[in-house]
Amino acid sequence: MRGVGRDRGLLLALLVLLGLGVVIAAQAVAIGTTPLSLAQVGEAIFAFDGSRDHLVITMLRLPRVLAGLLVGAALAAAGAVMQAATGNPLASPGLLGINAGAAFAVILAMALPAVGAATGGGILWFAFFGAAIAGFAVHVLGSLGPNGATPLKLVLAGAVISTFLTSLTTAVLIFDQATLDVVRLWTLGSLSGRTVGDVIAVAPFVGIGLVAVLLLRAQFTTLSLGAEISGGLGQSPLLWRTISVVLVVLLAGSAVALAGPVGFVGLVMPHVARLLVGADYRWILPYSVVGGALLVVIADMLGHSLFASQDFPVGVTLALIGAPFFLWLARYRLRGA
Amino acid sequence: MTPRYPAISLAALLVPALLLASLMLGDQHVDIAALLKGEATAEARIIVLDLRLPRALMALLAGMALGIAGTIAQAVMRNPLAEPGILGINAGAAFAGSIVIVGFTGLSVTVLPWAGFAGATMMAAAVFLLSWRKGTSSARIVLIGIGLGAFASAGTSVMIAFANISDVQRLMIWLAGSIYDANWDKIRLLLAWLIVPIALVCLFYRQIDLIRFGDDVAASLGQRVNLVRAGMILLCTAISGATVTVAGLIGFVGLIAPHLARRMVGPGHALLIPASALVGGLLLMAADLVGRTIIAPVQLPAGIVTALIGAPFLAYLLWGRRHVPA
Repeated sequence: MRGVGRDRGLLLALLVLLGLGVVIAAQAVAIGTTPLSLAQVGEAIFAFDGSRDHLVITMLRLPRVLAGLLVGAALAAAGAVMQAATGNPLASPGLLGINAGAAFAVILAMALPAVGAATGGGILWFAFFGAAIAGFAVHVLGSLGPNGATPLKLVLAGAVISTFLTSLTTAVLIFDQATLDVVRLWTLGSLSGRTVGDVIAVAPFVGIGLVAVLLLRAQFTTLSLGAEISGGLGQSPLLWRTISVVLVVLLAGSAVALAGPVGFVGLVMPHVARLLVGADYRWILPYSVVGGALLVVIADMLGHSLFASQDFPVGVTLALIGAPFFLWLARYRLRGA
Repeated sequence: MTPRYPAISLAALLVPALLLASLMLGDQHVDIAALLKGEATAEARIIVLDLRLPRALMALLAGMALGIAGTIAQAVMRNPLAEPGILGINAGAAFAGSIVIVGFTGLSVTVLPWAGFAGATMMAAAVFLLSWRKGTSSARIVLIGIGLGAFASAGTSVMIAFANISDVQRLMIWLAGSIYDANWDKIRLLLAWLIVPIALVCLFYRQIDLIRFGDDVAASLGQRVNLVRAGMILLCTAISGATVTVAGLIGFVGLIAPHLARRMVGPGHALLIPASALVGGLLLMAADLVGRTIIAPVQLPAGIVTALIGAPFLAYLLWGRRHVPA
C-alpha cells in the first residue's frame, strides 16, 4: 500500500513540475529587453495581429523558448537512457560520440568551403548527420565480437571515438583561426537566433523519441538492472541496447543540431532525478524529461537577463546555475553511501 | 622460459626503438652512429642531446605517469571511464590556465605551469573535501567530480566564448597538451616529483587490488578503506598534477593506457601498474614523434595525436578479443 501512495505522490509532484514548467516557459517568452505581459503572449499565439510586439514574440522569443524546451527534454531523456543502458553514472549522450561527431561535421563544413557550399549552409542537418554517423559507429565498434554489446565495450568505444573526433576538430581549429572565431559560440551550445523553421524541422524527431522513451520506460528499468537480471527476465540485451542507441541518437542528435553541443543536462539531469525519486527508471525518465526542459529554459532566461547578452551560451549558464544545486544533491541526498 | 605476456614484452622492446627513432627523425636527419663515435658536428650534438633526447624522455616520463594515475583512478573509482580528470584535475587546471592565458598575457609562459598545477590540486582537494561525510564513497566522489568539473569548465567556456581570438587559439593549444619545450631541468623536476608517489603506488599495489572489490569486501578483509582511498587520491593528484605542470593537459592516455595494459596482463595490479606505465609512455612518445614530424615544420600538440594513434589501436583490440574482462 505504501508503494501506491508513493506512486501517487510522485505523479502529483510530476504534474506540479509540469505546470510549473508551462508557467516558467510562458514567463520566459514575456521577459526580455521589451517586457511584455503574459496576456500579450497569449494573444500573439492565439490571435496574431502582426504588431511589432507580436512579431517579437512569434519570431524571436517563442522559437527560442521552444528550442530550449525541446533541447532540454531531449538531452535529459537521452542521458537517462544512456545511463540505464550502460549502467555507468558517467554516461551521457555525448559519450555516444554525438557531440563530437556533430561538432566535427559542422567544422568540416565551415573549414572546407567546397563542402560548405554544397550543403547550402545547412548546419542543422550537417550536425544531425554527423551525430548520427558517430553514434552508429560507436554502436558498431562497441558490439563487435561474439559477446555482443557489453556496457563496458560500448562506453569504451564511445570514449575513444569521441576523443578521436574531438582531436581532429581541435587540430582543425588550432590552425584555422577564422573558423574558430565563427564556431566557438556554437561549440558551447547556444539558443540564440533559432528560427521557427529550425524548431519545426527538429520537433518531430524529438517528439517521436520522447514518446518512445516514455512508453518504453518499464523496459529501460529492466535494462538498468544489468545484463544478468534483465536477461533472466527475458529481455534481449542486444535488442534493447540497439533500441537505446537509436533513441539516444534521435534525441541527442536533434538537440545538438538545434543548439550545438550543450553539455551538463544530459549527464546531470538523470542524476538529479535519481537523487529525488530513487532508482526506478519509470519515474527517472519522466522527471528527467520535464526537469531537463525546465532547466534549459530557466538557464537561457537567466543567461540573457543576468549577463545582458543575447549570445551568452546556454551551455555555460546551465553549468553555472545547475552545478551548485547538483553538488548539494550529491552531497546530501546520495543514498546507500 | 617462454614469455607469458608476449604483447607486453614486445611493448618493452618498442621503447628503445621508439627512442632511437625520436632521436633520428625530424627536420634534420642525424646519424646516430656517428654521434656515438664522437664524430658528429656540434650542431648535431645540440639537436640530439639538448632538444630531441629530453623531449623524448619527457614524453616517456609524462606518459608513464599518466598511465599509472589512470590505473589508480579506475581502481579507486571502480569505473572503467575514470581517469585522473574525474577528480576535477583537468577542469581545474584548464580553468586556471585559461585565466592566466587570457587575463595575464605578459606572464603566461613562466606562470602557466604553476597555475595549472595549482588549479589541478585545488580542484582535487575541493572534490575530496566536498565528498567527505563521515568517510568518502566512490560514488559520491564521482558525482561531486562531475559537478565541480562542470562548474570549472563553464568558467573556461566563458573565456573561450568571449576572449580575444588569438588568446583563445593559444589556450586551445595549451589545453590540447604539448611537450614542445622539454629540457633537462624540467625532466629533473618531473623525476623528483614523481619518484616518491610512484614508489608508494608500487609499494601498496595490494591495497589497490583490494579496494577495487568494493568497500564492503575490502573492509572485511581488513583494509582501512577511507584511509587507502584518500591516500590513493592524493598520489593520483600528485602524479597527474606534475604532468600538467610540464606537459599541459594531456587527456586520453590516462583513460586508455590502463585498458590496453589490462588486455595484455590481466587485472592484477602487480603487473598492471608497470604495464600501464609502459603503454602510457609508449603512446605519448609515439604521439609526440608523429606530432612533430607528420606535417613538419608545423607541430601538432602531442595531446591531440595520442587519441589519433590510440583510438585505432583500441578499436583493433576491441575487434580482436572475444573475451572481455572488466
